[in-house]
Amino acid sequence: MSTRFIVATIICLTLPTNRTFADGPFVAAFDRFARHGDIENSIGGRLLLSELSCTACHLTKVQELQPKGGPNLDGVGNRAQPEWLKKLLDSPQTTKPGTTMPDVLASLPVKQKKATIEALAAFLSSLRQPYPELKANGATPVPLEFWKHGNVERGRTLYHQIGCVSCHEADDDYEVVKIKPSPIDQLLEQLDPDEIAEMGLTSAARRVKSVPHGELPTKYTDKSLTFFLLNPEKVRPSGRMPNFQLDAVDASDISAYLLRTAKNEAATDNTESARSSETINDDVKLVARGRKLFVEMQCANCHSVTGLKPTRHSKPLASLQTGSDATCFGTPQPDLPHFEFDELAGNSVIAALTELQRPTNLDAAKSLNFRMLQLNCYACHERNKQGGVGRFRKPYFETVGHVDIGDEGRLPPPLTGVGQKLTTSWMRSVFDGKAAIRPHMHFRMPQFPKSATRDLPDLFVQTAGDAQQPAEQAVFPGGSNADMVEAGRQLMDAGCVQCHSFKGNSLPGTVGVDLAGIANRVHPKWFYDFLLNPGELKARTRMPTFFPNGKSQNKDLLNGDTEKQIAAMWAYLRDLDRQPLPEKIIHARNQNYELTPTDRPIVLRTFMKSAGTHAIAVGFPQKVHFAFDAEQITLAQAWRGRFLDAEGTWFVRFAPPADPIGDDHVRPPGGVPFAILASSLQPWPTDSETAGYRFRGYRLSKDGVPTFLYRIHQFDVEDRIQPSDDGGLVRRFKLRRRQASPEVADRLHLRAHFGKALVFEQVGKYSDNDGMTVSVNVQPGHAGELRNNDAGTEWIIPLEVKSETQIKLRYSW
Amino acid sequence: MTCSYRVPVSSRDRDSATIALLIICFFTSPALLTADENDYYRLISIATPKAQTDSRSKTWKPAPEGLALEISGMAALDNSRVAVAIRKGEVWILDGVYDDPPKNVRYKRFASALHEPLGLLKHNDSLYTAQRTELTQLKDTDGDDVADEYLTVAKGWGVTGHYHEYAYGPKLDGDGNMWLTLNIGMGLKGNQLTRTVRDPTLGFRQGRWRGWGMKVTPDGTMVPVCAGMRSPCGIGANAAGDMFYTDQQGNWVATNSLHHMRDGAFFHHAEALASMNQPGSTIRGITSVPNGAPLPQALEQFPQLKPPAVWFPYKKMGQSTTDIMLDDSGGKFGPFAGQLFIGEFTQASMSRVFLEQVDGEYQGACFPFRSSFASAVLRMAQGTDGSVFVGLTNRGWSSLGTASYGLQRLVWTGKTPFEIKEMRAQSDGFELVFTKPVDAQTAEDLQSYTMNSYTYLYHSTYGSDEIQQRDLDIRSVNVSVDGLRVRLNIDGLRELFVHELVAEGIRSIGGEPLLHPHAYYTLNRIP
Repeated sequence: MSTRFIVATIICLTLPTNRTFADGPFVAAFDRFARHGDIENSIGGRLLLSELSCTACHLTKVQELQPKGGPNLDGVGNRAQPEWLKKLLDSPQTTKPGTTMPDVLASLPVKQKKATIEALAAFLSSLRQPYPELKANGATPVPLEFWKHGNVERGRTLYHQIGCVSCHEADDDYEVVKIKPSPIDQLLEQLDPDEIAEMGLTSAARRVKSVPHGELPTKYTDKSLTFFLLNPEKVRPSGRMPNFQLDAVDASDISAYLLRTAKNEAATDNTESARSSETINDDVKLVARGRKLFVEMQCANCHSVTGLKPTRHSKPLASLQTGSDATCFGTPQPDLPHFEFDELAGNSVIAALTELQRPTNLDAAKSLNFRMLQLNCYACHERNKQGGVGRFRKPYFETVGHVDIGDEGRLPPPLTGVGQKLTTSWMRSVFDGKAAIRPHMHFRMPQFPKSATRDLPDLFVQTAGDAQQPAEQAVFPGGSNADMVEAGRQLMDAGCVQCHSFKGNSLPGTVGVDLAGIANRVHPKWFYDFLLNPGELKARTRMPTFFPNGKSQNKDLLNGDTEKQIAAMWAYLRDLDRQPLPEKIIHARNQNYELTPTDRPIVLRTFMKSAGTHAIAVGFPQKVHFAFDAEQITLAQAWRGRFLDAEGTWFVRFAPPADPIGDDHVRPPGGVPFAILASSLQPWPTDSETAGYRFRGYRLSKDGVPTFLYRIHQFDVEDRIQPSDDGGLVRRFKLRRRQASPEVADRLHLRAHFGKALVFEQVGKYSDNDGMTVSVNVQPGHAGELRNNDAGTEWIIPLEVKSETQIKLRYSW
Repeated sequence: MTCSYRVPVSSRDRDSATIALLIICFFTSPALLTADENDYYRLISIATPKAQTDSRSKTWKPAPEGLALEISGMAALDNSRVAVAIRKGEVWILDGVYDDPPKNVRYKRFASALHEPLGLLKHNDSLYTAQRTELTQLKDTDGDDVADEYLTVAKGWGVTGHYHEYAYGPKLDGDGNMWLTLNIGMGLKGNQLTRTVRDPTLGFRQGRWRGWGMKVTPDGTMVPVCAGMRSPCGIGANAAGDMFYTDQQGNWVATNSLHHMRDGAFFHHAEALASMNQPGSTIRGITSVPNGAPLPQALEQFPQLKPPAVWFPYKKMGQSTTDIMLDDSGGKFGPFAGQLFIGEFTQASMSRVFLEQVDGEYQGACFPFRSSFASAVLRMAQGTDGSVFVGLTNRGWSSLGTASYGLQRLVWTGKTPFEIKEMRAQSDGFELVFTKPVDAQTAEDLQSYTMNSYTYLYHSTYGSDEIQQRDLDIRSVNVSVDGLRVRLNIDGLRELFVHELVAEGIRSIGGEPLLHPHAYYTLNRIP
């Protein structure tokens, strides 16, 4: 069905890249944009100042330059293996290529360096913390020692599907399903680099380098990496590694995949027990020395450790001399950390420092861009033709089930104009990872720390131009009423239902964003503009226009007035929670859940408002149906037309009562049909239990009609109810005496009808005020009597049952 | 039973032997070191949809193709067919289910219009199932393999309409009685309250017999037996025909548990006492219920309260226990004949239980057994060849696995896993019985074992932490001459505490580690 191929095979176009940076720190957005002149040099320099945490030592008041900072080192003793810590301290770039950690010991003499490493490593290894207990309940599985049981293959799939490969390297031989390349990608494959440059597509054509992982198996244990993935913010509060909201099993699977090279080597198992206090050199003095050095050498400026505060800072950023020989990125200097910079990086930093000497605040657009560069939002999202997952990563972004709904259905959404589109409260939900509205995508929007995204919604809004999006009244000045809402509902059927779902309901096979809650997500103005001309707001969208040239295609509703129709759609969607679904969706739902008897009756046991918790609903092809209460032994409801919706009974956890669908609903005379009365003065029993009933089930005839079986004292009753030939119901009782006891038998009574007031029609036939007429095939002279009680009038017929008696009732309404 | 034990080797010998063993281990194949459950118990998928559906969605839908096989009851019929009840209210008979691979399974609908049936029993040429409102006998009177009589065997328990009021069963005991268990309702309101009974002293309000275990005698009389159940999803008899049920963690229930059902016993959920004064009740005279005491104290204050035979420590042994299945195959299902197997919903797995009687009361240990089912394990039924059919459904909650429902079969491969088969309480410790002889050197090494013990709070809150946790000191280890038994002599056993063992270091004589090194013994009584 689908051709599988290996991504690597299509990556045939290699581009000249500047490799000189390979040995230095890797800042994703700098490498992707500044290195190629896509952003100004000074912006690239600013990026290095924050992302390399220069400003952790060279303090500055400039808000956006606050340092990214290094990992929080509380608990690093059980997170990172001691040998790895030593290697990292000894040579950060060799141990973790691309790390933003400078070489702090570069200028130390060999012996002193070794001693310093020993002390720092001993201190760091002493920073141990118990792992958190994961909360579990019936909805969140947390298996025993889950971190030990990661499934490499599943982890590999998750790693490539959910978004890890937006920033990190994909496996060369990970197979994805072939997707038709977009027109631009097709074009890029055909052009040579010069042509690409001429067309201004160089940035789009470029291969985007990956954020390196380093040698994970030498750093982490299965447990520590699993717990890191479960809550990256705890270790890396900067949010550069966001939280994919993994559950315990997902995290251990991805961890197992990332550590896969360590598997099957007995010696690499390095869990806590193996690293108990005996195996780690917890030399108290050495630890104390490391702790002291940690602060003195300004490690504490970047890394937080509970109880430690930085005590030393270097020259403030504003007073750094750009012409100085003693820099952190030239030749290693005593007492200075060392970054391996190439010329471009150095020049960028100098350009930024020069610019910063004249205090200039970035405007909103630049601030936003800068924040997005820092957080590497561009790894996933395109905004104003910058960024996006890039040409070579696209194949990993798959639609669930490989439905083709274009790039829009598989790639993270572009953010151009998003300030006009989304409400700030919704943006906050998005950053908080509470906005999973695209179930058709494998990709997940991860959760970012609040501290890293707090200013973003406002920046998006400010960048949108207007300080405030117009309110609903301004966009739809006509307001709305029930007719508008209903018109909006009808307009949904014109096209919306083909791609969107509504409160979880959709046409079969449809994948798309659920429109429930849309009024909380998007501004009314954007909604209006987008419906009017989707392509203008969203390039290459699959959303068609229903108003070509601003003209409605539906002249019947609201006089074909475009503005009114869009207002009606907004009004309906805003109120969707309380509104019925669009007709086509109701129809599709009914296909699945509406019970329609065709050749045989359909029985459904369920909860019903009319027939209680022991309801047995029976529907007939003749389109006359009833509900029997098997607890109270009562014919509880009858109706005509459509029968019943079974979704709640079949598939809804909360077991809602089933509602009959059709028309002409009627409650037949209530109460038990028979009672043993000592005299005609004795009141009719109020419930089946005191009346001595025992329900015994039912029997289906060959044609599927149920006969209810019950027992009252010494009588066995068979009770068969089915449609009559005049659109009502006919009920046949068969009473059989189980043993002879004539004196009691004489007191058995049938209550044939019961209502506020009964009207005599003819012998054996009475009607009530609600239009229910009951007739009984009585013997002449045995038509019973009417008697009154508090609630109304009863028609009581005494019965003589010698061994077996049959009685027939007709209900018409 | 007698058994001879070895004299421990000196610690020096042991050290050198351990080193030798480590070297051996290092060079043995990785497959042996990372033993896989699949090597011993193989899973065959008979019917599982390809994708998980959102099990908690309000608009849950079955997979687009095939029958929504949310198995809620199961009965093996013969050597080619099983009958399954599904949650939407039908019973299907599946033929060809023993085929491997099961390429040609035939489906026939036997019954429909049942209200969320949660059990299925074949008995006297009929199928029996508990619906929400009644125990029903499904009879095919004309031989067309479709039920035409739905006969009410027993009813009369309260059904307020609250979704949580599931009714489970039936299962047969050794005397031919059919047993049912009735979930407690939760947060009843409005109209639901009109269908309740109330205990005037304690003030609890529930549908009649909610939270009770009932038996239906062969003449059709329903008898309340015991009470205090929260979510008694599993019922089953042991080899002696005594009846047990499993409960699920929640209010009043500290963690999942296995209980012996018998007259007058009260287990945990206090609201079941709403029916205490109903005619037929076996429990009387409770005027107050302790709330917030550690279990041992609660038992002193509340004499009707009976501790479970087995606690399943939360997360470690799963999160929602379900069905109980006796391995009645006489060895066709591997080395655990006569033991009980317990289904696990959330973690899509199966556990194993060893029971013994001390002073006439059941207690015992639980062990992990098999994970990685395609969805929540709700029902299990042993087939004629000893293999086990596993019925899956996770709708309403969540589970591990690749599907939302389905049917799988678990088959013993004939290879014996290295497992702790039994864990027996002794006056001064525990005796472990293994499926294969142990390597004496590792078995005698005290470092091969860690143990601790803890108990729980009895309270109305949802679940309990493990409290009063204490590490246990193993004083000495004795290994039997045949290598199948190990005696741990332990300091500080505590009655009514769970005793948790991790035997990570022990090896079989073939050098295998335990497939599951964890065991949890509920030590209600020290023999």
